[in-house]
Amino acid sequence: MREEIRAMQESMEGCGYVAEPEIATAVFLAAEMKKPLLIEGDAGVGKTEVAKVLARLLGTELIRLQCYEGLDVQTALYEWDYPRQMLRVRMGEQEGRSPGEIESVIYSRAYLLERPLLKAITRRDGPPVLLVDEVDRADDGFEAFLLEVLSDFQVTIPELGTVRAEHVPFVVLTSNRTREIGDALRRRCLYLYIEHPSLEKEVRIIRSRVPGASERLAAEIGRFVQALRNRQLLKVPGVAETIDWAQALVRLHREHLDVETVQQTLGCILKDRNDLNDVRGAELAALVGEAAAMG
Amino acid sequence: MIGADLVAHVARFGRALRERGVRAALSDEVDGVEALTLADLSDRAEVRRCLAIALKIRPRDAAAFDELFERFWAQADPSRKTARRSERRPKPNPGAPLRRFGGLPGAAAEADRERETRRGDTPGYSPEASLRRKAFEECSPAELSAMESIVERLALRLATRKSRRLVPTRGRGRMDLRRSFRDAVATDGEFLKLARRARAVEEPRLVVLCDTSGSMDPHTRFVLAFLLALKKAAPRTELFAFNTSLVRLTPWISAEKLRRTLERLSAAVPGWSGGTRIGESLAEFVALYRDAMLGPKTVVVIVSDGLDRSDTAALARAMRAIRSRARRVIWLNPLLGDPRYEPTARGMEAALPFIDVLAPAHNLESLERLLPLVAA
Repeated sequence: MREEIRAMQESMEGCGYVAEPEIATAVFLAAEMKKPLLIEGDAGVGKTEVAKVLARLLGTELIRLQCYEGLDVQTALYEWDYPRQMLRVRMGEQEGRSPGEIESVIYSRAYLLERPLLKAITRRDGPPVLLVDEVDRADDGFEAFLLEVLSDFQVTIPELGTVRAEHVPFVVLTSNRTREIGDALRRRCLYLYIEHPSLEKEVRIIRSRVPGASERLAAEIGRFVQALRNRQLLKVPGVAETIDWAQALVRLHREHLDVETVQQTLGCILKDRNDLNDVRGAELAALVGEAAAMG
Repeated sequence: MIGADLVAHVARFGRALRERGVRAALSDEVDGVEALTLADLSDRAEVRRCLAIALKIRPRDAAAFDELFERFWAQADPSRKTARRSERRPKPNPGAPLRRFGGLPGAAAEADRERETRRGDTPGYSPEASLRRKAFEECSPAELSAMESIVERLALRLATRKSRRLVPTRGRGRMDLRRSFRDAVATDGEFLKLARRARAVEEPRLVVLCDTSGSMDPHTRFVLAFLLALKKAAPRTELFAFNTSLVRLTPWISAEKLRRTLERLSAAVPGWSGGTRIGESLAEFVALYRDAMLGPKTVVVIVSDGLDRSDTAALARAMRAIRSRARRVIWLNPLLGDPRYEPTARGMEAALPFIDVLAPAHNLESLERLLPLVAA
């Protein structure tokens, strides 16, 4: 393995993110090749976390654009500050300025509200990390627009002219695959698919994120959640849920799993009524027993 | 891998991937080469990781990728260099189905076998010869006009959809400050009129896949009337019929009288009223029309009873492919109205996870109830 990739892996781990070689390699390549990184995977496997850790690692700002259906250019890129512009126009009139003068004042950077994409491009002190979260939720028109911004890292504002990136930001896109991302956007990026973690990795994640959890508790939680993922569930718990659960158990001063505690706290990891009913049935005792016995 | 051969290797690897149906473009190969220049080429796992990341290998293509990677790595190994020329191009997968319209010789026999096993236990199922023409009785005029008005309303609802995107409008809507203000600058800062925006109305593309097998017979006529109305409300609707194979009906549909259209259709579809192979038919649709017809604005309507004893894994695969591309998948099942029917048919079960709306469609009432369900 290349020294730089190993170093990346270690420093991500230093920031509390247990990264497999795949993840460290993808982040390293994206940084070296200056390409956006598209991360797909089930909910809660730590897609968004990659961007956060990266920002911490680089000591830079994380700029986040949360996508949703109907997200438009005004919300993503920029908007003019209309109320202030309007006041300025009135003042200008009273001062007897010419319309041309007023216009050149109100359509200047001072009256521009920067939204995440523009903010990422215009940041002066070093490249930021731009997180475009859940890009699958935006509509395909927005995807095309995003493609344009990510290709050129420049934006044209009709009243102002073209704004070029001071530094090319480090871009991370995430998708839950509720819809297939277009091929064009996919090609612009490097691609990483994050799977649910292995038992060994999950236990390490619990140990690193919830220091209060004993080795025994972490192992039992890990085995229990792994067993849950093998069942037919509507909402499979992700690592995020595992961490929540571990924190809850530590708060309750539990050193190991027992049926009663699991019964009471199962809502931390299973967030669907049908799933809860399924698991709470007769098998819960067996699942807990298995998770506890193997240690 | 050897540094000087890197470009050629990646190019051959890309071509091999494409032969296996993995979408890898030239630009992906360029990324692949660049990534490999950054990798430790003596570390097999790292080369594999870098290639997978740069070539954008999705989970569903991972198996093909891994297999090809094994082969290429072995060939590129300097100690086995001589083996490279002879077996450098992997053969295209012989198992890949290359299906065409019409009867495959094996398909008819399989359909017969399938019929043997399900004879008599299926509501509405007809055990007669699969290649036969049907005459359609006509509804009473009153029934027909009542049906048409409901069907047209439903079709219109299916065919239009309010987007969350806002577009300029002359009517009511949310105020558009940006444009209002710009207009006001032209009139010395006076707001003479306010610009507004409202949600855009999109015309989604409808793709209707209609089961015309024997078990669907009692419903086919009614359902086809519905489909014709749909086609009228949304001209971009595409219609397909399937039983043991898939036929595109769109060219056969016209605004003519229902009866004549139906006659022409029954002549155009081989195996009308025969057995069903839903999985294979939908797989055929995916293979032939996915790229052209499925997109984020496509609503896919499948009309079928889900009575299919062939490969349910193929059905699930096809449904997954359709679901991943389309905006919404609606399954109309005429048998849901039949008290004898339980929605546990294996085909139905396999398709269920990939359906947004499952609704009965056996009479006017059921179609009326469908209206709020499909509201945009």
